[in-house]
Amino acid sequence: MTHVVLESCIRCKYTDCVDVCPVDCFREGPNMLTIDPDECIDCAVCIPECPVNAILPEEDVPQHQLQFIKLNAELAKKWPSITKRKPAPADADEWKDKKNKLDQLIR
Amino acid sequence: MASPINEPTTPIETDAVIVGAGPVGLFQVFELGLLEIKAHVIDSLAYPGGQCIELYPDKPIYDIPAVPMCTGKELTDNLLKQIEPFGATFHLGHEVNVVARRADGRFDVATAKGTRFISKTIFVAGGVGAFQPRLLRVDGLDKFEGTQLHYRVRDPSQFAGKNLVIVGGGDTALDWTLNFVQGSAHKAESVILVHRRDEFKAAPASVARMHELCDAYEMQFMIGQVTGIDERDGRLSAVKVTGGDGVTRVVPLDVLLVFFGLSPKLGPIAEWGLAIDRKQVVVDTEKFETNVPGIFAVGDINTYPGKKKLILSGFHEAALAAFGAAPYIFPDKRIHLQYTTTSPKLHKVLGVETPVFD
Repeated sequence: MTHVVLESCIRCKYTDCVDVCPVDCFREGPNMLTIDPDECIDCAVCIPECPVNAILPEEDVPQHQLQFIKLNAELAKKWPSITKRKPAPADADEWKDKKNKLDQLIR
Repeated sequence: MASPINEPTTPIETDAVIVGAGPVGLFQVFELGLLEIKAHVIDSLAYPGGQCIELYPDKPIYDIPAVPMCTGKELTDNLLKQIEPFGATFHLGHEVNVVARRADGRFDVATAKGTRFISKTIFVAGGVGAFQPRLLRVDGLDKFEGTQLHYRVRDPSQFAGKNLVIVGGGDTALDWTLNFVQGSAHKAESVILVHRRDEFKAAPASVARMHELCDAYEMQFMIGQVTGIDERDGRLSAVKVTGGDGVTRVVPLDVLLVFFGLSPKLGPIAEWGLAIDRKQVVVDTEKFETNVPGIFAVGDINTYPGKKKLILSGFHEAALAAFGAAPYIFPDKRIHLQYTTTSPKLHKVLGVETPVFD
């Protein structure tokens, strides 16, 4: 099991979650974060940190976002680690309530 | 010839084996101790404390009853003090890889290093699993592990006079870097430290010292990530380091030392025949016993309806598991609940005087 970063993170990337992770399992892409499933220990402390509720345990991922489980695993292998919070993109607030953002993802 | 292994090869016979020396494993020693059950404690880390020590030794914990605040280190130290009277034997740096039921009803337990136990009961207090070094994932690299690639330093003298590339930005990476550059006992021929950015988790003083040594041409620091390797005649001859500038440089070496920290893995626990649900061991809430009678699971490793991964829940589980295990160890003895405040019997096992009240 692992926790998974979902679609809401795309173009928001607030990074509040990375400060609290005890095992530094977040990885940073150009406009989204992912969790490395090999590192996550399911402690769940990141869930309430996310302002857009983008993180869920694997088994709670809704049906239409199941592809993010695989996506996290894949992208975590190629993206670098992020362990300190940084400013969100300037237009993050504009994107935070938008749905269906997968086409916006930069890999 | 003297055996290089200090542990006996004949099995240790015992009443209880506790797998995991985190706070709950340590408190399991206490609860068993009150019932006069002696335990052997095994942990993959070289020191007790589990997640409290490995993940947050200096962070404050606020939810231990009657302890308004303590750090992970303080909690561990206090638990060690509390269990001292019970004389548990610790086997640290050992990972349990075999658990099997014997014909006589007891269990065979063996560690990867070859220490063997025969125990009447087992308490799995494995937390989130055994902490293992995080690996550097580069194609073709794994076959050099143990020869030219190392994730821990057991004997620093084997790297003396060698050309080392050290990867990582934490205290372990920096401490070994300084050690191999300055150390008189096992000075390396050359040391190149590689870290993905010019920002370190290691203590600032070590980082400053490292930069001084670079300025004095005693060593080199490269910002970048290892993205490939070169092999020559079956040996690892160089690593390819891709810098933040996108340029990949070939760095020749004799030995590659990687220190990416530790990450917990459930590991062999999954293969002991225990019922597992989402990486956790299923237990009842009466005795915290698993589907295998005689094997109990306490703390973060277990799951049951309503489970919350809290240290204080683990303490409660340890108490009930000890009472649940007592009949396996003393089948003919009636076990009474006694209080440490008033029981002269418990005062004896705790090694304290029974107070006299006027």
